[in-house]
Amino acid sequence: MAVVNGMRGVSRVPAYVVMQPTTLCNLDCVYCYLPLRAQDRRMPVEVARAVAADANVWAARDRFSVVWHGGEPLAAGREHLGALMAPFGPAVEQHVQTNATLLDDAWCEFFAARGVRVSVSVDGPEDLNGQRVSRAGRPAYARIAKGIAALRRHGQPFAALCVVGDPRPGVAARLYEYFLTLGCDTLGVNIEEREGVNERPNSHDPEAVRAFWAELVAAWRADPRIHVRELEWSLRYVGAVLDGTSGDLLPRELDPIPTVGYDGAVVLLSPELAGFHDPVHGDFSSGNVLQAPLSELLTEPRRTSWVPEFLSGVEACRDTCPYFGFCGGGHAANRYFEHGRFDGTETEHCRNSKIHLLEGVLDHVRSS
Amino acid sequence: MSEALEDRIRDARGELAPLLEEARLARLARSEVPAF
Repeated sequence: MAVVNGMRGVSRVPAYVVMQPTTLCNLDCVYCYLPLRAQDRRMPVEVARAVAADANVWAARDRFSVVWHGGEPLAAGREHLGALMAPFGPAVEQHVQTNATLLDDAWCEFFAARGVRVSVSVDGPEDLNGQRVSRAGRPAYARIAKGIAALRRHGQPFAALCVVGDPRPGVAARLYEYFLTLGCDTLGVNIEEREGVNERPNSHDPEAVRAFWAELVAAWRADPRIHVRELEWSLRYVGAVLDGTSGDLLPRELDPIPTVGYDGAVVLLSPELAGFHDPVHGDFSSGNVLQAPLSELLTEPRRTSWVPEFLSGVEACRDTCPYFGFCGGGHAANRYFEHGRFDGTETEHCRNSKIHLLEGVLDHVRSS
Repeated sequence: MSEALEDRIRDARGELAPLLEEARLARLARSEVPAF
């Protein structure tokens, strides 16, 4: 049996930082976890400068990314987002996660000029995209499709992120066919999560979820042009088991994944915690980049009250869950929003997106 | 804890091998595209 060596403690140097240029989103998706998405609280350039001071150093040593996330980053406008990006040197890779509704020729030119990598949030064809709606509750699909058409017109490569609310047979094949037609080069498939302000239940029939993932494998095999995150990592794990290296597949340490909120507050490990408050743990933050350098805030993650509890939870997963070598331990936000604490183990998210995923892949090969 | 899971994966080695080879070739093809 492989001893899983990874995920012990938190790295002091991140692979990327998540930045919130504005809390505002022009959509009001049913499953969104963000608490302040109706308000336009913008990140001042001083926050970006403070983060860039460390990011430029990290990028000189190894590949490093900044991810402009939300709210909807394009809602900050080109002038302001450009000013926030400016302090980051050319070695820093820049990514944006967008709902695509504001994309047009000018935004495509903006991304091309800066080498920004684009990822769009879209849940599949129009009838499967009904959870993505405007503030007036109207379907956003036509605007999303128009924005993606602009990317294609400009030859801008893009990734896609898809949320699935009802994973079952029949859905996965339709989704994969849609994303092949859409033209994305990479796809992430998230089963809807109960976190943040989204309190909708996320428990599903295990057989249906396994069949969903098995069907996705079959669809992908027929035309494997898209890099599907979930399948890639399932197959990497399976391959590692077969060649006897599964104990070394996971990172040695957890990435701290610092999220820098609009006001400079830093939340580690789970961006979904940003903007929330707990009677014991306060706002979950580990400090503010306007008061101390980000690199300094990352030196002692255990000083943040909830992090030791979370790391105990990771060790509990290692000790009790047969899927730990594949998964690496439940995410902090999923534990917190499902269990109310950070040291619980198996969550619905674990079941939907890790356990049933791997079992679905195995179901597929047994039946093919 | 993972012994039974890993045994099941090893038992499916014959069925998994073609899938893993397809994944390897797909990665290679993607790399040749002008490529929380």
